[in-house]
Amino acid sequence: MAEVEDEGDYDEDLDDGGGLDASGHGKRKRLFSKELRCMMYGFGDDQNPYTESVDILEDLVIEFVTEMTHKAMSIGRQGRVQVEDIVFLIRKDPRKFARVKDLLTMNEELKRARKAFDEANYGS
Amino acid sequence: MADPARIKPDDSASATTASTSEEAVKKEAAEDAQEGAASATDDAKESSSTSTPPKQENASLATEDEEEGSSAKKLKLEPEKKKEKRHKVDEDEIQKMQVLVSSFSEEQLNRYEMYRRSAFPKAAIKRLIQSITGSSVSQNVVIAMSGISKVFAGEIVEEALDVCEKWGETPPLQPKHMREAVRRLKSREQIPNTKFKNIIFH
Repeated sequence: MAEVEDEGDYDEDLDDGGGLDASGHGKRKRLFSKELRCMMYGFGDDQNPYTESVDILEDLVIEFVTEMTHKAMSIGRQGRVQVEDIVFLIRKDPRKFARVKDLLTMNEELKRARKAFDEANYGS
Repeated sequence: MADPARIKPDDSASATTASTSEEAVKKEAAEDAQEGAASATDDAKESSSTSTPPKQENASLATEDEEEGSSAKKLKLEPEKKKEKRHKVDEDEIQKMQVLVSSFSEEQLNRYEMYRRSAFPKAAIKRLIQSITGSSVSQNVVIAMSGISKVFAGEIVEEALDVCEKWGETPPLQPKHMREAVRRLKSREQIPNTKFKNIIFH
């Protein structure tokens, strides 16, 4: 397929591997192949998604994380990434904002529950 | 917002075999959370909520008693009513989700399970963030970043499925669908981009 060949040529050109690009990080190893496949199936794709699509999605996710990290480093406390910075950056996107709030509240609840359970165990 | 509960044979079985004390259920929830996946905490929370809806109500009644016993009674009634209302809305939503999930076909159940359980590995995300910042990051940052990355991936896949359907093709998604989805999301500014600035007037 034409698209597959294009992807292949493009990857070979990025031999330095240090260049950040939207579609091809050169020789970087695939970090999330397995998890992304499950995720794509969960979100509506076929049970066996194409490897090229998974690769594109992985590159996009890595670019997203990189961009967010860079932005978070530039606001708030410089040079560090803190939760408040991420929440601030995501404030305009309702879905992501709600998701982050949920995850953090749930994490707090679980920590509290774990602590209470451990103390109960210790007491008895 | 509480998580909609899910009825799943092994989840409910494991929840019922846990002892009736709240601590045991929460310990199970905590153990589930230690698996490390963000959506695993979803499962843990909803397994604890499926097995303890009556206990949740008892807990809320208990907190109500405590609050009524305090001296500033009238001031405390307002947020207490809101908490009650929020609890009712959550319970409604939980019940609706239960009804929905109980009517899923086998394939839909599989897909829903994948949707809930899939998550990015925390270690890899942490390594990625630390390789960019050069200093260590807290656990909450990793949790937040994994969570929004999953939402981000979901947005792209959903848009790509829209594109695929619009072009009259079928899944599995092809790279051309993904790229068109990215192009659309970029024009809606849902993809962060600090590399190329817009030139308004050439």
